[in-house]
Amino acid sequence: MSDQRTFDPYDTFKKLSIQWEQRMNDMIHLCTNNNDFIKYAKMSSDSNAGYVEWLRKNQEMLANQLNVPTKNDLANVAKLSIQTQEKLDSLEEQIWNLSDSAARTNKEIVSVVEVLHEVVKMTQQLKTQHEETKEELAELKRLLAEKQTTTKNTRKPVTGGTK
Amino acid sequence: MSTNSLIDLFSSFDYKKEQKRWNRFCNILNEPEPKVGQTPRKVVWQKNKTTLWHYPPEEKKHEVPVLLVYSLFNKSFIFDLAPGTSIIEALVKAGYDVYLLDWGIPGYEDKGITFDDYIVDYLQKGVRRVLRHSHADEISIIGYCIGGTIASMYTAIADEAVKNLIVAAVPIDFSVSAVPVEWIEGLRNGIFSMDRLIDVYGLIPSNYVGGLFQAVSSPINNSPYITLLNRAHDDKFVEKWQRMNKWTNEHVPVTGEAFRQFINDLLKDNKLIKGEMTVRGEKVDLAKIKSNLLVISSKKDHLVPKEQSLPLLDRGSSEDKTSKFVDAGHVSLTLTSQFATLIDSWLSERSRSLQTTK
Repeated sequence: MSDQRTFDPYDTFKKLSIQWEQRMNDMIHLCTNNNDFIKYAKMSSDSNAGYVEWLRKNQEMLANQLNVPTKNDLANVAKLSIQTQEKLDSLEEQIWNLSDSAARTNKEIVSVVEVLHEVVKMTQQLKTQHEETKEELAELKRLLAEKQTTTKNTRKPVTGGTK
Repeated sequence: MSTNSLIDLFSSFDYKKEQKRWNRFCNILNEPEPKVGQTPRKVVWQKNKTTLWHYPPEEKKHEVPVLLVYSLFNKSFIFDLAPGTSIIEALVKAGYDVYLLDWGIPGYEDKGITFDDYIVDYLQKGVRRVLRHSHADEISIIGYCIGGTIASMYTAIADEAVKNLIVAAVPIDFSVSAVPVEWIEGLRNGIFSMDRLIDVYGLIPSNYVGGLFQAVSSPINNSPYITLLNRAHDDKFVEKWQRMNKWTNEHVPVTGEAFRQFINDLLKDNKLIKGEMTVRGEKVDLAKIKSNLLVISSKKDHLVPKEQSLPLLDRGSSEDKTSKFVDAGHVSLTLTSQFATLIDSWLSERSRSLQTTK
């Protein structure tokens, strides 16, 4: 395989252009990197600002005479709409807070209800136990009464038995 | 050049290829705009010109959502240029809940919006919306260029839990700058000031913004067109070139007050690194950044050299700090998938994987 690459004029042109561009940019930065250029830039910027300011003032004056809204008037209207949006946003955030606190309260209520359920369950258990104890007590009383009757019967003397 | 190579040149001359090359090159400006921002998304919140977009993943693999914050000088499509190279698409495919804070295009009525407003009224509120929408308690923020500066400033004062902060091509320390030294000195000595121009314009026009960047990086900028001529016969390359051209040429106007802060507080007085910057009266102390921190710099970035970004690593008091260097330029960083791959490899370990938590 040959190592020789085919000559591409576009590649050469690109390389040369990039080199030229880099050198030109370096030169521009070198030439402008001084106080004089900064002063000149300041002068141009100020004259541009002055010209635009003059234009704006005249535009405002003319718009005032023609009774048409200016850019500032439109900006003020737009600002009102932005303010409304901000208010809606803050309302939405307050609704979030409210719904969050409602959710928290709901959770708390649920946990209280759960505790109450437990209490009711326990009360029912106690009631059942109480009923059972009552029944047991009644049974015991009955048994005791029965026993007492049998004891009385057995204590009676047997007549004619010793003859 | 030898006679042989001349003979080679003429024998290899491809008439059709040359015709296609010159035809595309001459008609490139008449061709339709390349499609950008193709990843499916939904609006979560809108305020003024700002929109918070949500890019839902097909299969969510990470618990912590990601919020992208880009520069105030660009358009939001820079994160979603084309399928296959889009940063957003790659992160969505990697299973992140991706959100994008789209600053929109400011109008004249927004001329008074400052960095403070952008941070508190837009970014912080956006973060709260993301946390609520994703049902998460922590967030990862990815900031690019000035978006990274804004994200860093926010993280330093945030009440919300920022778990991870990733910044790419971020200017933090303005004592080092791509701007010629005397220009900065002129600003610092008061010889030059942008204040009057800002007062008059209110909103800095997009062509001024573009011109400013061009003046700093390369006043003569023919090379993209020469590169296009070199490969104008290659359809794929032309498509990629169109996107890059759109990226570099489409700037948005900047609100006057934010621009004033950028020029005076950051570029001139370097307040951020000195700890003198404030947001609505609260001091921005970069040492308060405790989030896991990744700083990405590009080796060929002529606009934001790495020396401007790296001081964030020294100032931030995060326990987990990483810096990465990418072989790209300021723009080309977002044009390839390597940016998203780099982010994913770092972020996936720090975003609480849903598979492992299950």
